[in-house]
Amino acid sequence: MGGEFEGVVRPRRTSRHTRGQAIVEFAVVLPLFLFCLIGALDAGLWAVQTSAEVSAVEQGARIASSAGSTPLSETAPDARAVTAAISGRLRTSMFGTVIKSWCTIDSTGGCAPDSTQHCPSTPAEVQAADGPRVVVVCVSEADPPACTAPPPGQAAQYPPGCDDSPMITVRVIGFVASLVPPGFGPGAGGFELPTNISATTHTLRFAP
Amino acid sequence: MRRSRRRGDDAQAVLETALVIPILLFLICNFIAVMVQVTVQQQLNSATALAAQSRFQAPENAVDAAGMHCCGASGATLGTAGLPTGCRYAAESFYGTMTTYIGLLHWQTATLCTSGGDSGNATTRPVPPIAYPGSPANAEVSCDIGSRKAGGVVVPGYVDRTLNPPSGLDVVTCSASASLDFANTPLAWGVFWTPTLHAHSEALPPPFRQ
Repeated sequence: MGGEFEGVVRPRRTSRHTRGQAIVEFAVVLPLFLFCLIGALDAGLWAVQTSAEVSAVEQGARIASSAGSTPLSETAPDARAVTAAISGRLRTSMFGTVIKSWCTIDSTGGCAPDSTQHCPSTPAEVQAADGPRVVVVCVSEADPPACTAPPPGQAAQYPPGCDDSPMITVRVIGFVASLVPPGFGPGAGGFELPTNISATTHTLRFAP
Repeated sequence: MRRSRRRGDDAQAVLETALVIPILLFLICNFIAVMVQVTVQQQLNSATALAAQSRFQAPENAVDAAGMHCCGASGATLGTAGLPTGCRYAAESFYGTMTTYIGLLHWQTATLCTSGGDSGNATTRPVPPIAYPGSPANAEVSCDIGSRKAGGVVVPGYVDRTLNPPSGLDVVTCSASASLDFANTPLAWGVFWTPTLHAHSEALPPPFRQ
């Protein structure tokens, strides 16, 4: 009789214990598993987005350096035109990220990449201006020092590099969408990762 | 007996977890490291491509005057006086583009500007490019920007006879090498390899310069 009683109770206890252990193990493993899964997905997503940004800024730099408004122009085209040219490439890879043009409108309504065009230097600057999960395309131009002639009677030389062609920088900067939950990433709003990729080149000079 | 079996099960579970977690973290670290390597390689390709192309943005036959300098990534100033201006343009484009992940890279330095060279073919023997006279030897990028002929004329690039046989085309080539070191990052915990990245780009003169 006692043996039967023991035989009935023992498996129930063991089953409860096993079930409890399985739940505890599951509770421990699930966060780890999710951490690994989300980490791997995010790393892949980040790589795809960064890869698209690298090729887009290179393409943007080529466009900005070669396409002036006239054949003799050394001025890069409107920043919005450069953004439009490369945003297609960015949009295909940047899921859930808004792409904007960083533009200081000048007096003529244009968005020339001249010395007044100050690009944001940190992704946080973009977030403060445009909100979370936004990257901006900024085109800036650094002009060489002016080749002003020295006053009569002075043998002062022109500043070095004064006849250089301007340098164009195309920058993609901001926060891209990711799976990083709020509080775990560097972004203020969560679900985003910072990015800052640029390409620089000289503008094409149609000189002999 | 029962208690010891339960203890044994618990110990086994702890042991399994202790084995699996480091392996998982190791895999994640290496997965992220490969992603970083791919991204840096792309940036290096992009920077050398823009550098090679920029050599043609400078006026033909322009030479940097005394006092001109450029822009090393390691903080070194590269003197470019007496070198073709296109050489400095190439370096400025390279360093201006290669701005991220600099802290992870150990550059293999080389001569900033080399001169001439010939890929060779059945009738012409290959000629390696030589250092351009006066070119700094501690640059992170090296561009074969061509040779200076009598009268100051600079012939762009080296002769690549595979592009337009048999006479070949004068092309500008830029290359850069660096090893990617994760030692100063959290990934160092699980990444024990230091890959060496190479990038090599060629640019043809634009049609109005050919």
